[in-house]
Amino acid sequence: MSEPIVKIDSLTRQYKGASQPAISNLTLEIPTGAVYGLLGPNGAGKSTMVMMLCGLMNPNAGSISIMGMNVSEQGSEIRKRIGVAPQEIALFHTLTAYENLFYFGRMYGLESDKIRSSIENYLEVFGLTDKAHKRVQTFSGGMKRRLNLIAALLHDPTLLILDEPTAGVDVQSRNMVIDFLQQLKTKGVTIIYSSHFLEEAEKICTNLAVIDEGHLIIEGTPTQVMSKHADCKNLEELFLKLTGKTIRD
Amino acid sequence: MKIRATIVKEFLLLIRDPGGMALIFLMPLTLVIVMALIQDAPFRDYQEMKLDVIFVDNDSDSLGRKIEKAFTASGNVHLIAIKDTVEAKRQVLSGNYKAAIILPRGASESLRSKTGNVIQSIFINLGMAQADSTLIDKPSIDLQLLFDPAIKMNYKEALSNALEKVLANVQTEWMLDELQLQLSDGAPRKNTSKIDFAKLVSIKENYASKKKERMMLNSVQHNVPAWTMFAMFFILFPLAGNFIKEREEGSMLRLRLISGSQFPVIAGKFAFYFGVCLIQFVLMIAVGVYLMPVLGLQQLILGSNILGIAITACCVAMAATGYGLLIAVYFKTAQQALSFGSISVVILAALGGVWVPIYVMPETLQQISRCSPLNWGLESFTNLFLRGATTVAILPDLLKLVAFAIVTLAISVFIHKSRTIRN
Repeated sequence: MSEPIVKIDSLTRQYKGASQPAISNLTLEIPTGAVYGLLGPNGAGKSTMVMMLCGLMNPNAGSISIMGMNVSEQGSEIRKRIGVAPQEIALFHTLTAYENLFYFGRMYGLESDKIRSSIENYLEVFGLTDKAHKRVQTFSGGMKRRLNLIAALLHDPTLLILDEPTAGVDVQSRNMVIDFLQQLKTKGVTIIYSSHFLEEAEKICTNLAVIDEGHLIIEGTPTQVMSKHADCKNLEELFLKLTGKTIRD
Repeated sequence: MKIRATIVKEFLLLIRDPGGMALIFLMPLTLVIVMALIQDAPFRDYQEMKLDVIFVDNDSDSLGRKIEKAFTASGNVHLIAIKDTVEAKRQVLSGNYKAAIILPRGASESLRSKTGNVIQSIFINLGMAQADSTLIDKPSIDLQLLFDPAIKMNYKEALSNALEKVLANVQTEWMLDELQLQLSDGAPRKNTSKIDFAKLVSIKENYASKKKERMMLNSVQHNVPAWTMFAMFFILFPLAGNFIKEREEGSMLRLRLISGSQFPVIAGKFAFYFGVCLIQFVLMIAVGVYLMPVLGLQQLILGSNILGIAITACCVAMAATGYGLLIAVYFKTAQQALSFGSISVVILAALGGVWVPIYVMPETLQQISRCSPLNWGLESFTNLFLRGATTVAILPDLLKLVAFAIVTLAISVFIHKSRTIRN
């Protein structure tokens, strides 16, 4: 069995002024090539976790190692090899789709030819070819979300971190994204997939972790997780059982 | 490559922002034209005094004629002869005229008598003459100088000084006449040629400039460089606006996620807005040189040190961009950045002498003014345009501008990097 691509050891992060940690003593490993579902209700600590995985936030305690490198010490090196699609639409709204992608490609240090071919390829895959030269501000939510994902893929990352990649998009866009991620899975790219959509997670994830209030509640393959709670018919039931039915804001 | 990509990106963002374009180019051009037009009259007032003054000559003798002749020759004061003293006072009181000179009846006779007595006294003291009981000491007659309360202080002083000078000349001339008469022992003078006092010592007025042409500060020479710098420092508006917008919209987050993009992002922005500042400078100078004369104003005279001007423009552009970047990076919301940025630039401009030259400010304020980067730039341009300074001569101010740019840029990079990773 290959070495896990991500190792999280006793990770804790508490924000200034907060009464309790956003992530508390969390330990887990993400296998290479997995589609790893990071699930949890609002405020569970998913986005904090993503920020720490990207090296944009330092933990108060514990460590994260990606591809054998410590994130706190070699964050810059790690960021070269990972692609991140943040929850917010991280694009320049007055630039066109092509201009956005070309600029980000340049910032990744890619050559013009490579950028052009990647842009053409991904715009085709995500059905945005005819919108290439339209400004992002004219795009629908689904189109922006797909473009946001393409921007994370240009440099062919080994590890892809997706924070709510299908939030606020229509069914068609969601399907397109899910289909693409399934294709990517076959190419051996490791994907960390943070989402509210349990049905999606059940469909594409090879491994799952449910976190709530900063704690790891359950972790394993979907089969392993479900087998631990045989009374639950599906992941959603299991999720509600583990995290409760109280509304989180 | 990354810096060039950022410059291209900034260019695209700016040209698609009509408000930002107007703020960078249209507003400063309008501002410099309006300010030059508005301040043209006050500048002329200070430097080219033309004053109509009522002259009531109740004396109708030689003193009145000498006063009239002297002021006519000066060119700055135009005497309007009025016979009635009451009417003269009424005209000044109503503000129709700023001043009136009222020469009382018997003024010439009184002055002549006084000067004669002075010379006679000198001769008596020297034992060269005996006291003459026939000498009559006429009462002194006061010449009245009447001012409108609204007259500018410098006009008032200039008129008083001019009148005192005329009277002093007349007194001296008449004393010498009397002296000549006494020394000739009453014999008729053979040579009656008058001494021209003005020629005893001639004052050649010139400006301490290395240029051959007569050059002095006027509305255009002051306002064009001053408001150009003001506009260049206002680059913080689009710079900070776009920067914070990128942060709020999320594109800055993407860049933070890309390794090694922090320096190119800052450097690219700096380079782009530095270029924009230089374009602003060229446009504003072009307005001064080509458009101002069309509008009836003086033409902006650049002088011969074009390289010095280019270097100064670069230094000001660096300082302005550095400051804009610091504001952009430091403040977290656009409202905070733009409010602080605009007010601080206005204060720096006021202190720097953009509105009024700093020599008219109180001493303490002048000391503070010398800490404003706009003052360093403005002083450099004034030295280049008016005093024909060499680049070496303005080097201290240029170095201050460069140091200011380096410090603001370094702090900006530090803040930006430190905020990339949250501890």
